[in-house]
Amino acid sequence: MLFSSVAGAKPWIIEVEKEAAIISLVLSAVISISLSVFYAWIITNYRRTEIATLKCIGYTNNNVRIIIVGELIWVTMFSFFIVFELLIHIVAFTAYFYYTAERLPEFSPFIRFGPLLITIALFLVAQIGGILLAYQRVLRLRPIIALRIQK
Amino acid sequence: MKEIMIKCEGVHKEFRLRGNIIRALIDVNLEIEAGEFVMVQGPTGCGKTTLLNVMSGLDLPDEGSVILDGEDIARANEDRLSNIRRQKIGFVFQDFNLVENLTAIENVEALLWPTVLRTKEIEDRAIAALRAVDVLERKDHYPGDLSGGERQRVGMARAIIHQPRVLFGDEITGNLDPVSGRNVMELLKKLNKDLGTTMVIVTHDSNLVQYGDRVIKMDHGRVVR
Repeated sequence: MLFSSVAGAKPWIIEVEKEAAIISLVLSAVISISLSVFYAWIITNYRRTEIATLKCIGYTNNNVRIIIVGELIWVTMFSFFIVFELLIHIVAFTAYFYYTAERLPEFSPFIRFGPLLITIALFLVAQIGGILLAYQRVLRLRPIIALRIQK
Repeated sequence: MKEIMIKCEGVHKEFRLRGNIIRALIDVNLEIEAGEFVMVQGPTGCGKTTLLNVMSGLDLPDEGSVILDGEDIARANEDRLSNIRRQKIGFVFQDFNLVENLTAIENVEALLWPTVLRTKEIEDRAIAALRAVDVLERKDHYPGDLSGGERQRVGMARAIIHQPRVLFGDEITGNLDPVSGRNVMELLKKLNKDLGTTMVIVTHDSNLVQYGDRVIKMDHGRVVR
């Protein structure tokens, strides 16, 4: 049940809900895209020798991609749950400071199923950037790099 | 008549470095028999690492052919080369190149993870490989907890878990103290004898050439002996 759908809900409450939804969506999108691309960059940049070694010992590009994409999905899902938990804390703090105890049940639908699904979808869509980046970098990494002396 | 494991014919390789052309390999012709222990020796920059890279399919020659176990790897595509490396080639690196967040046994098993082998069989093979290089008691340790010699042994276990036909090593004792270096070379010699694996070891250290059945000397991109 939406708080704004409660009969007699005041217009400012509806506005606050809308703003909060938009902010959470934008935040989720920005965090997930940044995390996905940044983590893909970290994996392929700081683990060049590791990836090159795997290629050297017989991993195909596809094998390495599977590992990296798996890691990206794992990390992105965890980042989603962290953001989800953060939202719960924001709700809790907001409710504690601005809402009375008896109105809290009305406020709890702030985290609704719809926006949650949208957020998950956003997180997954955001991974595409990271996956594409990882794909390109893994393809370019030559196994011969593993033979170079590390400083 | 002995089986030829590696055959290089008319191999040329050039690099461009800051506008200059460096001729790393010039008309290299050589044959290495199956089960042979070959040391490739020469001064720094003579082309021995390039030769190893070309023989192992890590790099392609500009001209010539490289036949490894009956297959011209100079004309194989990248996926085929990966499969050849997984099935027929073992690598031991100077820097060990172990994955730091995997234990010794996981590092060894990693080579077989993308294969269809069952987990138990992979584990059994890893244990056998670690036992062969005498470092089984350290199987659950992370590379950071191992000494240089032990790390190199784990690297060797990883290189032999799939029972390769050829094992390549590039300056594998370069980061080890003399005693550990000798132990590693003796272990390679033992593996060569016990498993019949062809060994191609690149070194600039003239003290190590005694371990080889044959020494290929290189100078300025050419095989001189």
